Amino acid sequence: MSTPDGAPTAATAPTQGYEQAREELADVVRRLEGGGLTLEESLALWERGEELAGVCQHWLDEARERLAAAAPDPSAP
Amino acid sequence: MTAPSSPDQPWPVRTVARKVADWIGRLGEVWVEGQVAQLSRRGGATVFLTLRDTAADLSVPVTCHRDVADRPGLALTEGARVLVRARPDYYVARGSFSLRATEIRAVGLGELLARIERIRALLAAEGLFASHRKRPLPFAPAVVGLVTGRDSAAERDVLVTAARRWPAVRFAVEHCVVQGPSAAAGVIEGLQRLDRDPAVEVIVIARGGGSVEDLLPFSDEGLVRAIAACRTPVVTAVGHETDTTLVDHVADVRAATPTDAAHRVVPEIGEQRRLVDGLRARARSLVTGRLEQQERWLESIRSRPVLADPQRLLAGRAEDVAALRQRATRTVTHRVDVAGRDLEHARARVAALSPAATLDRGYALVQRADGALVRDPAEVADGEALVVRVAGGRLPVRVDRQDGTP
Repeated sequence: MSTPDGAPTAATAPTQGYEQAREELADVVRRLEGGGLTLEESLALWERGEELAGVCQHWLDEARERLAAAAPDPSAP
Repeated sequence: MTAPSSPDQPWPVRTVARKVADWIGRLGEVWVEGQVAQLSRRGGATVFLTLRDTAADLSVPVTCHRDVADRPGLALTEGARVLVRARPDYYVARGSFSLRATEIRAVGLGELLARIERIRALLAAEGLFASHRKRPLPFAPAVVGLVTGRDSAAERDVLVTAARRWPAVRFAVEHCVVQGPSAAAGVIEGLQRLDRDPAVEVIVIARGGGSVEDLLPFSDEGLVRAIAACRTPVVTAVGHETDTTLVDHVADVRAATPTDAAHRVVPEIGEQRRLVDGLRARARSLVTGRLEQQERWLESIRSRPVLADPQRLLAGRAEDVAALRQRATRTVTHRVDVAGRDLEHARARVAALSPAATLDRGYALVQRADGALVRDPAEVADGEALVVRVAGGRLPVRVDRQDGTP
């Protein structure tokens, strides 16, 4: 069962920007919670949701690293 | 009148000298205002002094009788501003010109201030003091020009204070005399040299306190005009806070003291560093705040059952399937049971209807050739072949009515 658009795994830099992934993830969750899906659809949607969450996590982790790398906390002497 | 001179008939020196003397004499008696530059009383009855113009850089020799110079209450000293009544005098013997003074008056303090006020009014009318001319000072100038007295307290205050506030600042210092008749010219020269230097971003004119006379050069019209003409912004720190000289009016910024001037021209590095650090911290906390907010959002979305616990979906489905299977099984079982019971009934009925049991009980069935059961002897004809079925089997028989009963 391949994911709908064959997005690369989270390990490589995701092509999607953070906001884009976040919007799609919110939509996936809405549809899953809406129900009325075939087993196949809900499974595929769930996998897509996991992948999108991975993308969001990637961007947030990267932001966290860049923030830390940029400068140590200014209150440091 | 002597004949006009020509190469052929040149005039002797005495004639020329006399003519010059006549011409000069025509000026007549004048009142002259100026500043005493040099003063020498060595000449016995005659006193020699040089009278300098208050604004322009030029002067004229003045001679007078000692009584005129030593008039009581005059207190004639170098640097004093004076009014002189004099006649032009051409000393033919040596061909030297001087003003022969017959009366000298000191220009009093009141007079001085009035004079300054007149100059102020004049320059103000020209708009030299207009606020729109005032230019903003550069935030952190790399090079600060300084016009001041050599090794003066003012110089030290400016240099030390500025360096403490902004260590990176560099100075271009022009030393000059800050008192007396040549002071104004000296300041102007230093000022213009700094103004020409493109590296100098702001010029400070600094001088310690002093009397009105001491500060007079700083109300000099020429100096004020020179400042007005400057390309570089000018900060004045002249005299005590309470003193006001004309340069203060024309300057871009008037500092109360040399130290204050240093505060005006360079920022305080610690303060700037705190400012910058503050801004960096605020930027960092804004970004961190936004980041945390998004992390919380992601966490909440991931904890939603549909994502966190997909088994629930499957489980739901599995339960549905299991439930369906159960129902199916139950239904089938039920149906089988019913079928079984029906079969039983049918069998029972068959059994009940079935002749076997009857036969077992000793009854017999009679069937005609076509299988029809014989219920009434009348139905059969004599000699008809019949079959008798008893529990054990079948008997072929033939009808033999001996007694002729139908």
